[in-house]
This record gives sequence, C-alpha cells and structure tokens, in this order.
Amino acid sequence: MSYIRILYKIFELDILAIPGRDMALVGIVFLLLIGITPINPYLLNTLVFASIFAVFAASWDLLYFTGQLNLGHGAFFGIGAYVSAVLSSRLGLPVSVTIPLGALGGIIIGLIICLPALRLRGPYLAIVTLAVPPILKGIVFVFPELTGGELGIFGLPSISDSPIFTYYFCLAVMLISVSIMWKLTDTKSRILRTGIIFCAIREDEISARTSGINTVKYKVLAFVVSGFFGGIAGGLYAHTMKVVGTSTLDFLFSVYPLIWSIFGGAGTIYGSVVGTYILYFFSSQLLIYVPEVRMVIFTAIIVIMILFMPEGISQWIRGKFEISCPRCKIANSAVRKFCRICDAPLH
Amino acid sequence: MQFIISGILVGTAYAVLAIGFCLIWGAARIVYLTYTAFYMLTAYFFYVLCTLIGLNIFLAALLSIIISTLIGIATYRLCIERIRGHETIVILVSIALAFFFEEGIRSIFGSLFRRVPPFISGYQELLGVRVLNQYILAFGVNLALIIGLWLFLSKSKIGLAIRATSQDREIVSLMGISEKKVSAVAVTLGIGLGTVSSVMVAPIYVVEPAMWVPPIAMVLAIVVLGGLGSLKGSLIAAYILGFSECAVVSYLPIGTFVKGAVALLVMIVILFLRPEGMFGVNFEEERL
Amino acid sequence: MTKRIVMIVVSLWVFSLITIGLTGEAKSQTGKSIKIGVLSPMKFIDGFNLWRGAEMASDEINKAGGVRVAGVKKPIELIKIDTNEELSVTDAVMAAEKSITVDKVDFLIGMRRSEAALAMQEIVMKYKKVLIGVGALHPQQCTRVAEDYNKYKYYFLIAPNSANVGKVLLYHLEDVSKRVREELALEKAKLAILAEKIIWADPVVKAVETNAARIGFEVVGVWRPSSMGTDVTAELSAIKATGAHVIFQVASGPMGITLAKQWGELRIPATLVGGSSEAISRHYWEATGGYGAYTTAMTSFLRVKITDKTIPFWDAYVKRYNDFPTNTAGTYDAIYVLKEGIERAGTIDSDAVVSELEKTDYVGITGRIKFYARDHAFPHNVVFGPGFITWVVSQFSEGGKIGCIWPHGWEGVTYEGSEGYKIPPWVVEYWKKRK
Repeated sequence: MSYIRILYKIFELDILAIPGRDMALVGIVFLLLIGITPINPYLLNTLVFASIFAVFAASWDLLYFTGQLNLGHGAFFGIGAYVSAVLSSRLGLPVSVTIPLGALGGIIIGLIICLPALRLRGPYLAIVTLAVPPILKGIVFVFPELTGGELGIFGLPSISDSPIFTYYFCLAVMLISVSIMWKLTDTKSRILRTGIIFCAIREDEISARTSGINTVKYKVLAFVVSGFFGGIAGGLYAHTMKVVGTSTLDFLFSVYPLIWSIFGGAGTIYGSVVGTYILYFFSSQLLIYVPEVRMVIFTAIIVIMILFMPEGISQWIRGKFEISCPRCKIANSAVRKFCRICDAPLH
Repeated sequence: MQFIISGILVGTAYAVLAIGFCLIWGAARIVYLTYTAFYMLTAYFFYVLCTLIGLNIFLAALLSIIISTLIGIATYRLCIERIRGHETIVILVSIALAFFFEEGIRSIFGSLFRRVPPFISGYQELLGVRVLNQYILAFGVNLALIIGLWLFLSKSKIGLAIRATSQDREIVSLMGISEKKVSAVAVTLGIGLGTVSSVMVAPIYVVEPAMWVPPIAMVLAIVVLGGLGSLKGSLIAAYILGFSECAVVSYLPIGTFVKGAVALLVMIVILFLRPEGMFGVNFEEERL
Repeated sequence: MTKRIVMIVVSLWVFSLITIGLTGEAKSQTGKSIKIGVLSPMKFIDGFNLWRGAEMASDEINKAGGVRVAGVKKPIELIKIDTNEELSVTDAVMAAEKSITVDKVDFLIGMRRSEAALAMQEIVMKYKKVLIGVGALHPQQCTRVAEDYNKYKYYFLIAPNSANVGKVLLYHLEDVSKRVREELALEKAKLAILAEKIIWADPVVKAVETNAARIGFEVVGVWRPSSMGTDVTAELSAIKATGAHVIFQVASGPMGITLAKQWGELRIPATLVGGSSEAISRHYWEATGGYGAYTTAMTSFLRVKITDKTIPFWDAYVKRYNDFPTNTAGTYDAIYVLKEGIERAGTIDSDAVVSELEKTDYVGITGRIKFYARDHAFPHNVVFGPGFITWVVSQFSEGGKIGCIWPHGWEGVTYEGSEGYKIPPWVVEYWKKRK
C-alpha cells in the first residue's frame, strides 16, 4: 500500500505541480481516450500518422539536441520503410519482425553517416546529411527489381485489421519511444548522464573533450539512437500506408521533422511531439479546405515562427505558465508566490 | 569531343552559380540555400514579362533580373539579417523560404513546364558537335561575369573589403570596415550573379517550380569540393563536377538518372578525406 | 488538486468530442444526388483533363435530367479531389480516404500515377466503393481483381493496361521503321532508345530490343534519363554521334517536353517517335516553342472517327476549354459507363452496380468498351484489340495541328481521318545529302 502512496507523492510533486507537465498529461490522456470515441475514421488515420511522424520528429530532435543539424533525416525513415517493405513483400516476414529490422537499417545508415559526420560541424555536417537521401534514391533506382524503382513497393500487410488497434499500437510505440528519447536528453537526471553530456557536446565540444568526455562515442550514440527511432517510424509508416515509394527520400520530406520540431520547440523532445501533432493536424485540415495554398501557408508559418519564436510553441506556453525559482532553479507554477521546494519568493 | 564541349559549357554555367553562392558564404557566412530559388524566380518573371505580357526580350530580361535581385535583398534584410549569427537557424530559414517561393509559384502557375524564348535561336556545329546558339551566348555572358567579378574583387575597394571579410570577420571590424554592409553587398552581388545566369540559361532548360533543387545540390557539392571561402576553388571545382556529370551521360548512358547523386557522392567523399576542400581556408571553429 | 485534474480531463474530452464530431459530420449525405469523386492531381495536365472529361459528361447527363435510379432521376454531383499524387503518395492516400469518409462520395473515378493508384485502390476497396481507373495503367491493379475477387471487384480500368500500351508502341515503331527505310532507302535503320528511368519503361525497352531486328532496326544505344530531367542535350549529342536514324522515346514526365524542344532546336537528324504522355496538348506545343512538330505520342483518342461520338466530343472539348484533350479525358466514357451501370442496377449499391458494370457493352469516344471477365488474366480491364479499344498514336504537324498516324492499316483497322506517319523534312534532307 505504501508503494502506491510513494508513487502518488512523486506524481503529485513532479508532475502535477508543474503546469507544463499537467498539460502534457492531459494531452496523453486525451490521445488515449480518443481511440475509443466514435470519430471519423479519416481523423483517426490522421492521428495514427501524427504519432508515427512524432517519433520521426523526435528522433531528429534528439540529434539536434547534440548540436548536429540533420538535413537528410528522411534517409533513416526511408531506409526503415524500404527495409520493412522489402522484407515483408519479398520474404514474407511478419510485421513484428520487419519493423525492428527496419530500425536496424536505420542504425546502419546512422553509422555510415557517422563516418564523415564525426569530423565535421555546423554547416558542413548539414550539407553531408543533405546529400544522403538523393544518394539513397539513386541506389533505389539502380535496383528496381528489389525496390520497385519509382513505383515503390505496394500491397504491404497492415499492422492489424482493426484501425483502433493500429492506433493504440502506434500511440504506444510513440509514447515509449519518446519517453526513452526524453530520458536520454534529460539534463537533470541522476541516473542517465547522456542528457547532460549531449548538452555539453552541443554547447562546446572542445571543452567537453577536455573534461574527459569521449565525444566520439556519444556522437555515435546519438546517430545510432536517432537512426533507430527514425527507422521504427519508417517501418510503422510502411505498414500503415501499405505502400512505400521514393517520396520518403525527397528533400521536402526531410524538412518536415525540422519544421515540426522547431515549431514545437527544438531541442526538447516533447516540443517536437507537440509540434508534429499540431502542425500535422493543421496541415491535414488545410488539405480539406484550401489544398492549393496549403504549402504556401505552411512554409510562411515556419519562417515567421523561426524569426519571432525560435524556441518554439511549447517553450512559449511554458513561459506563460511557469516560472523558474531564482534560488533553486526548480520549475514552478507561475501563480505561486513562493517556491514549492525552497520557499523563496518567486516574483 | 561532345563530352569536352558539354563539359565546358555546363561547367561555366555551374561556375557562375557556385561563385555567387561561395561569395555569400565566404563574406556573409550564410549558407544561403534560397539562392537557387531566386534563380527560379527570375526565370518565372522572365516568362511572365516576355511570354505572357509580351515585352521586348531584353527589357524583360533586365526587369526580371532587377526584380529578383530586389526580392533577394528584401528577403535577406527582413529574414536573414537579424539571425545572421546562428548559422544553423539561417540554414533552416533559407530552406523554408526556398520552399515558400516554390509553393507560391506553384500555386500561381501550376506545375506545368514553361518555356522562355532564347535570345539567339538556332545552333552551330562546332567540331562535329551541335551546340545551341543560346548556350554559346550563355557561355560568353557567364565568362564575362566571372572575369568581371574577378576584376571587381581584386581592383576595387569594396572588392578588397569583401575579400578581407572572407578571411577574418573580427579583425575586419577593427580595421574600420562595416562588416554588416560588406555582407549586404556580397549577398546582392551573389544573387545578382545568379539572376543574370538564370536569364541566360532558362531558355535552354525548362521553367518549372522545382527547378531550384538540382542546381543547389550541385552548387553545394562544388563549393565544398573547391573549399569554402575560396572563389578560385569554386571555379575549378565547377569544371571538375561539370565534366564528371557529362562523363556519366556520355559513357554510362544507362545511368544518366544518377548524375545528380554521383556529384553528391563525390562531395561526401571529399568531405571525408579533406573537409576544407581543395583550396579552402581552414577555420578553427568550423572543424575538429 | 485531484479534482482539478479530473475536471480538466473530462472537460477537454467533451470539448474535443464536440469539435471533432462537428468537423467529422461537416458534409452529410443528402441522398438527392449521386456523388462521384474525381481523383486527380488537379494542377497537372493529365489531372485537369481527368476532371474536364468528367465535367463534360456530367453536364450533359444532368442537362438531360440525370441518372435514373429505380424510377427517380438524380443529378450527378462531381467532386474534385486533388490527390497531388505526382508529388506525394501520402497526400493521395489521405485525399482518397477523406473523399469517402468526409465528402461521402458514392463512386470514384480517375487516378494518374501508378504508385499512388495502387495505394488509393487499397483504400477505396477497403470501403467497398466502385472505382473506375482512367489514367494509371499498371496491370497489377487488375491482377489483384483476379487474386482476391471479393475484395477488389469494385475496381475497373477503362484504358488498356501498360502491357497492352507497350504493344501499341511496338506496332507504331514497326510502322515507322517501314516508312523510314522506304524513304531513306535503307536495309536496316539505326535505332536509339531514350527511355525515362521509370518502371513501366523497362519491359517496353526490353521488348523493343528483342524485336528490333525483326522490324528492321539495329539498336545503337539505350539512354535512361530521369523523368524530371531538364537538359538532355548531352544525350542528344551522344545519340547523333551514333548515327541513329530513329529515336524511340518513352516519356511520361516533363522530360518529354525538354527532349522535344531540344531535339527540334538542334535539328537532330533522327526522327523522334514513341510515347510521350505530355505530347498531346496545346501546352506541349507552347512549351516546346513549336519544336514539338513531328513528334509522336500515344493517347486514347484523337479527332478521327473511332466511333461516331469521338469527333463531336473533340470539337466540343476544344470549344469549351480551348485546348486539346489528353488521354485522361476518357473520364467522359467512365461517367457514361457508370451511369449505365447504375441505371441497369436500379440502385447505387456497390455490389449491384459492379455486377452490372461487368456486363457493360458501351460505345464511347475511345471505342467499344467491354470489360474482361473474372477468369481472364486481367479481369475488369477493357478489352484491347481491333473493334474494341486500341488507343491511337498522334503526331503534331508544323502548324500545331495534331493528327492520327496509327492504326493505319493495322489488322484492318484504319480510323477515318488518320494519315500515315510523316518524317521531318530536315531528317530526310540530312540523310539524302549523305548519300
């Protein structure tokens, strides 16, 4: 019985007390409940894609958190999708096997990109990553019997026959993946030190090196994890769309996770999830009402966001509802007068 | 023979774009990926003015160059200048802007291919190879641009300032040069180069909203191969990659669809082996 | 604290249910009209042709009162569904799903890009709606009907699949070979193949290579540029260097325009024939600056007497839209076929309409439309052959007029108004001089 009380205490202190986390909780509950409400199947499908793309965006964000700008993130996604598709259609392997193998493909590509990437920083790194999807696309065209060429691979089995199950499956994968990635980037964690190390690498790699951190190992880790989750997203996509084509390796596709993450809050994993849900939903609604100018509005929003709110929407909202205590730096609800831990005056 | 002539023509066209891009990167430290989007916009303005409105071709060309360059400068001022310090954010914004322009043009004109009339029609037979007259004209103009730029950079005061800023930004401010103004001039010059080249080359190719994507991939590969900040490097690299592209077409006809990917592969290999490229200046904060 | 949380959660859920419920039921079923959705990439040329053909048909039918369903005449309501399939398969799939769940269409026609079509077909079959394909010709759309009849029976393809279309190209090439060798007094002509790197071109290229010797050709090279290519001067120069007399192209994307323009500007001394999906519209003529003259293309109909309906339709289309129709305007036939199917079935219930559609024997603008039965290799595909659907090959002439050059004495079929293939004069001049 006392364990439950302890859990509840943690819940009350760490989650309920912070408005930002309150909202996240509400969001998660909302997503969990929406699956069983009788909404339009088109909307449910949109939410499934949103959760897949959330994993995609979060994996990009993880890499961004370590300071590496990946302009070719579609490569991980595309590889995951293609590997899953090829294994599923040519070898007939079941979905539960093809998706993890797709993720493995993502890891391998991540390792390959690492090789030049480790020696480069900033814009150079960005350019190298930019070049990867077109090269993969070229490879796809060179082996059309295997990859289906520009037609792609179609007729893939879906994750399940029940759309509700598919929704919950993707949602579960999203929640688990995002939690893992968030824990990896949590700078305040005492158990996992990767968060603070990634942060250090982003801020000043040379100092991190001099402090004895093996930056190479951690950068490789970042690429591998990012590739893994990107590949998972790709595999899920293959089995939800049931068709895989070269569209995932288009330049525009690699730009989407950037847009979603930056809109939501770059560098914070939850920010990319929030951004993806909002923007993806927004863009599919735009598809219904103003299909012609959808992308124009979209890109305009992005430019404006980057210029005026570069920390992203989630951070902006947090800023409105939370205040950091001047003494102990803990996040507090903005309506409080005194810090909940150290009792210092907040304003 | 075909391969050599093609290589020279294509190389020069790429060289102009690469030099413009390199100028912006070197002097203003901006990876201005929207660069080729202006190239695309110029082609569309040219199309509208010349084909739809029916203006005289030279007037149309001149106007489209001026309008595009103005848009380029305006975009720079409004969007890029304020975030100049953060390189990665600049990349993001420039990509978003490029797509914004592409989608804007697409929603107005649709995705159909358009064409603009050439300044000189017809073709010549050079050493057994048929070359469009327009291509020869473009070659001439591009060459003139390159030489003109070289003279400008080496002889004029502003040119000197630009070269200095490419080498070391902080010291340049100490020397009394407004680094901000120099960046603006460099951006204008770079975009101008791109727009003039566009007007020359658009009649040979086809005008469509996504036409800015293959050039930017090539330009990135060229600039990286040549070494960032080095104009001479970009020039030479442009010819190298131009020739390699033509080589793929001439000697591996089955593989013409990969000519873009091959260029990028070359670029990655170069970055792996020698990140500063052929003539690049090695900046401490850029690599480890 | 707990109360606050519970309150927030519940209120949010209720609120969202309301909003989503509202958006979900935004367009409800009226039952007063028959909703037919046109799936097409509206911004592209084949896209708006898909729409226009359907529009002309539905306007005619509605003017005559509508479709008779069990004694009551109901008008057709056409719904535009921009799939953007040329650029994004995801968009296409979402658009297809949205058309069924949000717009509540009763029937669907259209589609252009095979990759997207195969994905869209899955979605539409899942909802058991009748889908008549017009623009995407991949044969697997029909072989699926054979594999799983109950799931895919709602799909019909009103154009020959790409395997048959490939045959048309071969017949056309045979024709060209005869003319070229005759005119230039050659034993064997040299053939260069320039095919886009797309999957349906692969079997065509192979077929041409295997049959080349039989029809009088010697293949001197195969070039595979990308379909979005904007410069093929290098390829053209290489082809000229081989001394080819004929260039056989397979183009479905805009590369076809680039090729024709540069070929014409450079006056390459080889005839440019083959299939170029873009090469049948006024836009093509403008985009190539008139250099598209003498190029050939395949399409479903032209201004010749395939049937009595063909020429009137062509003229009406040109008058209304000031443009030539492309093969995807065959949606005109699709709408009529659907109308007849519904009228015979007496209901809009998909299963009933499907069994009536299978019995279709309709004379449209593209020819006589009958569908292969369930036991055929390509069930629910139109019958291909003389007297049924054969498609035609077009050729532009110097003034921008488009004429029919095949079938011209093929298997006894010659449509009234067609002429034979014409070789560009500069090609003849060049080779005659060489003698």
